[in-house]
Amino acid sequence: MASISLHTNHILPSLLHSQTPKATFSQNLSLLSRSSQSQFHGLKLSNSNLLSIPSSSSVKSSILAKVTEGVIPPAFTLRDQDGKTVSLSKFKGKPVVLYFYPADETPGCTKQACAFRDSYEKFKKAGAEVVGISGDNSASHKAFAQKYKLPYTLLSDEGNKVRKEWGVPSDLFGALPGRQTYVLDKNGVCRLIYNNQFQPEKHIDETLKFLKSV
Amino acid sequence: MAVLNQRTPTPKLLPHHGRISHKPLLPPRLIHCSATAPPKNHRLNSETPILNPATSRPPVINDPSLKSTWTHRAWVAGGCSTVLISLAKSISASADSHIWVEPILAGLFGYVMADLGSGIYHWGIDNYGGAETPVFGAQIDAFQGHHKWPWTITRRQFANNLHALAKVVTFIVLPINLVTDDPVLLGFVGMCSGCIMFSQQFHAWAHMTKSRLPPMVVKLQDGGVLVSRLQHAEHHRAPYNNNYCIVSGVWNEVLDGLSFFEALEMVIYFKFGVRPRSWTEPNSDWTEDPETTTLVS
Repeated sequence: MASISLHTNHILPSLLHSQTPKATFSQNLSLLSRSSQSQFHGLKLSNSNLLSIPSSSSVKSSILAKVTEGVIPPAFTLRDQDGKTVSLSKFKGKPVVLYFYPADETPGCTKQACAFRDSYEKFKKAGAEVVGISGDNSASHKAFAQKYKLPYTLLSDEGNKVRKEWGVPSDLFGALPGRQTYVLDKNGVCRLIYNNQFQPEKHIDETLKFLKSV
Repeated sequence: MAVLNQRTPTPKLLPHHGRISHKPLLPPRLIHCSATAPPKNHRLNSETPILNPATSRPPVINDPSLKSTWTHRAWVAGGCSTVLISLAKSISASADSHIWVEPILAGLFGYVMADLGSGIYHWGIDNYGGAETPVFGAQIDAFQGHHKWPWTITRRQFANNLHALAKVVTFIVLPINLVTDDPVLLGFVGMCSGCIMFSQQFHAWAHMTKSRLPPMVVKLQDGGVLVSRLQHAEHHRAPYNNNYCIVSGVWNEVLDGLSFFEALEMVIYFKFGVRPRSWTEPNSDWTEDPETTTLVS
């Protein structure tokens, strides 16, 4: 079942999900015990943040400020599909739908990209910008964007540095980069996080629904 | 390998977790049964004529490569014998031990797992490797030919169709029959291997029109005991990435609903950099040949 987590008034000190394939068993177990099936079809991150308390052996992995609702995500500067550098701050002043996806030219990511493309006018009408991020390089993004006529920016997060900083959780015990979308408001504050690996079109539905409600 | 042109995706809502739902079923194409494709392992069987690669020529009705040879029949006899021995030993040991529930349940489990196994194997063969792959190359090539001329399977004689699986079953089940007398294990093995061996027959039946099928087979298909014609026809539709199971098809809805194969494909892609065939726009070697579809059934 798809799940979203909404902005709350408090900022929770939250522990980072391990982003490496060597995620601790206890972390994964706590994730799975709560949402074993919805890990693929939507993950309620706020609940799992509260309850997925890692064992002491994994605390050393990080107590970083992972992006949650109500926080301003860490800034980044990445290259887009044309090789130009783009900073997150460029989008301040308008809402941004920033979606992390596994890889160009894979079925789910293609479905998602095309769905964002097909609804792009609706996002523009809501005053929002759409930005896709994956670990692929600019050349891959360029080919992908050209092939499917994507009208929005694709950023190249080489080495998955931003993915790790933002705490995008992996799927299948770290075997698969997660598919997670953030909606930032015009002040750059995270207002919505939506995670769903195998129902990529739902990212469009949920983010549009949220943008229309605010 | 096909040129990697990404297929144009069609937006499609995947089912929610926990709710099993079909992909929308389109009316099946008219599949007229006839004509030929080279049999699996035809290159390994010296009794069949050497034919061109599977997809390079249109099939011919009454192609000798579709007929059963005595070697085929021998393997099928061997396979059936091992399966029957397994089942007979299971029944006999069950009677001696006065247990029935566990062996019967084990047999049912074997039938269910055979469907799962058929799907995973079918997925692997359909998506990875090619004619040059060691061990599996001939079968991969044959599966490709089957996708181009799907109805040719209905023109194969019985032993011709089953002999490859019968060979595998013989090699695996015979040692098991020799080393164990456990009725539960033998019940599982007998049913599982029997269903796997006959999966090619179930597969052939799934390609035949209702009018050509024995009424009992139609009943079993409609009842979900054997894979249905409609469900299997879904597999033969682009992008050829679903409904891989061919015993009962009971796993198809579950596996497709959970995006099981898509998950496996993504993991393989990220771990090994290998793309499955289903991610690419199907080329002419894979899509059904419409010109030969209308041969008389």
